[in-house]
Amino acid sequence: MILLALVLGACGFSPGSSSALCGPTGVLRVGLLAPSEGSTSTAQSFSDAELQALKSLLLQASRCDVVLEPLNSVDRARTSLSERRWDLAFLPPGLTAYAMGSSAGYTSVRSLGSSRRSRSAILVRESSHYHSLQDLQQARIGLLPRGSLTGFYLPLYNLHGLNLARVSYALNHAALLAMLDHAEVEAIAWDEALPPPSLAVRRLHVDAHVLPLGAMVLSGSLTSSDYIAFLRALDANAAQMPTGLGYAAGVLPEQQAIQPLKAIVESVEAWQLPLDGQPYRVYGAKAAG
Amino acid sequence: MKVPQILGLLSGDGSRPLRQQLAITLAVVFTASILVAVLLLDQLFAWQARGLIDQRSGFFMDSMLAVREYTSKDVNPIVAPLNEGPGVFRPEAVPSYSATSVFEYLKQAKPDYKQYSYREAALNPTNLKDKADTFETSIIQSFREAPSTGSLTGEKVTPLGRFHYVARPIKISKDSCLVCHSTPERAPRSQLLAYGDSNGYGWQLNEVVGAQIVTVPQDAVLKAKRQSLLTTALLLALVFVVVGLAANSVLNRLILRPMRQISQKAEEASVTPASVSFDEKSRADEIGLLARSFERMKQSLAISMQMLKDRQKP
Ligand code: HEC
Repeated sequence: MILLALVLGACGFSPGSSSALCGPTGVLRVGLLAPSEGSTSTAQSFSDAELQALKSLLLQASRCDVVLEPLNSVDRARTSLSERRWDLAFLPPGLTAYAMGSSAGYTSVRSLGSSRRSRSAILVRESSHYHSLQDLQQARIGLLPRGSLTGFYLPLYNLHGLNLARVSYALNHAALLAMLDHAEVEAIAWDEALPPPSLAVRRLHVDAHVLPLGAMVLSGSLTSSDYIAFLRALDANAAQMPTGLGYAAGVLPEQQAIQPLKAIVESVEAWQLPLDGQPYRVYGAKAAG
Repeated sequence: MKVPQILGLLSGDGSRPLRQQLAITLAVVFTASILVAVLLLDQLFAWQARGLIDQRSGFFMDSMLAVREYTSKDVNPIVAPLNEGPGVFRPEAVPSYSATSVFEYLKQAKPDYKQYSYREAALNPTNLKDKADTFETSIIQSFREAPSTGSLTGEKVTPLGRFHYVARPIKISKDSCLVCHSTPERAPRSQLLAYGDSNGYGWQLNEVVGAQIVTVPQDAVLKAKRQSLLTTALLLALVFVVVGLAANSVLNRLILRPMRQISQKAEEASVTPASVSFDEKSRADEIGLLARSFERMKQSLAISMQMLKDRQKP
């Protein structure tokens, strides 16, 4: 009897078994995107060594097997979030706003990225005859994939009411700029935090919202278990995080800046959204942003 | 204790009652045989458990190959045109995607399967989730250096514990794979938007690009082994207890009880030989022999006593 009690007691106190922080599948599924939207691909933002260090840090902090999924495409990340396929994710601002929406139900717990004063803009060639957003009626426009704030949600929100001749997607702002240069499109989405483009361009419109930073988010199932020790372990070893991630130990993401953007993302998401290479009428109910 | 003493304890030196001696001898012999059996079976069962896991892993990998085949042949032709169109890339057309998705469902089918994990790791993957880590890279490299290797098994240690793994090479054997894996220009445009154009390209026909790797916690192997071992040891112990009880009762019924009776009668016979009869003399065994000897001794004693009585008469 005493022996039994001892054995049971020993199991209860053994570290690991009780404090492992896993998702519902028994592993910790982690999504990773570069914290700045549309600059470079995730593959190029992080070296193999950095990814391995991140994986082993997450593994040590959670004591759970980690499946790390770095993604180049915000669109696929958006799908993963909407299907709640990740337990934890490192996201750029647009996806953070999307993840915190009621449909995905994630909670942001740490701020990512460095202060960049991002703003969403719409660029046209210097020589073009476009002077206001209304002039873009029947124009061809280049966007970043669905999920990007500066490249998708805000531009569409601002183009509300227009009939576009074609919407084309590119993975990053550099590729969009090339499309503009080759006259494949008349206007592109742009991020004001990027270095000024080499092409002679003009800003047709700059959105008023100052964009928040990206964030590390946790799924509903993780936030309902005890994740404080996990966060503390990450904070204590923040130096092991990839530098490009800009993980800010102990810094909660600012909620105020993201609220209006969450509303915009949610209302644009409710629209019928444009397909690559197809004409599109920007139309749908619009939240007050 | 010296050797003769131990031998004396085991084989008996007449210093204890028979029953006790038998109990000691049997207990020692049985314990020793259980110990030896457990030691041997430990090896055997470990080997068996690993065999079972390797076999199951092999089966998993074969199933995943079948899923890949099905996706290439039957699903891709239907979904591929969609991916050429304006919509979002449908990964359901991708052999690797369907294999890993099916495996996730398979894991839910039985709690036993939950511990298995399946990866299609590649040196230059399309989905960065499949990027080979240091350990996986070394496996893929050895497949690349020795292309005839069918599979590799072994053990690896991670912060989560020891793992048993089974790996097989993934070779680009069909030209159809190269539609999506050779150059970004050849791949569907929707795939470029979904996975980017910086990784997962430049694969060659007949190149080993990655490996299928199934891993199981070593604990699972040990647990399976321990369970078989425990069951066998318990069964052995049970058999030995039954054998011991049977031997004890046979000893009691066939030897001890008649011997006590004979000894009691011999005692009586030493006083009144005529009134005592050794009935056991009809038995065919050694007890019968002993009884007949006593019977003869009793008769001799009776005659001697009679002669002594006659001589004493005046
Ligand atoms: C329709 C385009 C397409 C075809 C055809 C295709 N693949 Fe893939 N392959 C992909 C995509 C996309 C992924 C990433 C899937 C994911 O998200 O897990 C992938 C993943 C893989 C992986 C896992 C490693 C990685 O790159 O992420 C392997 C191995 C692989 N494919 C091998 C093959 C082989 C062998 C064939 C031929 C039988 C083949 N593929 C045919 C598109 C394709």
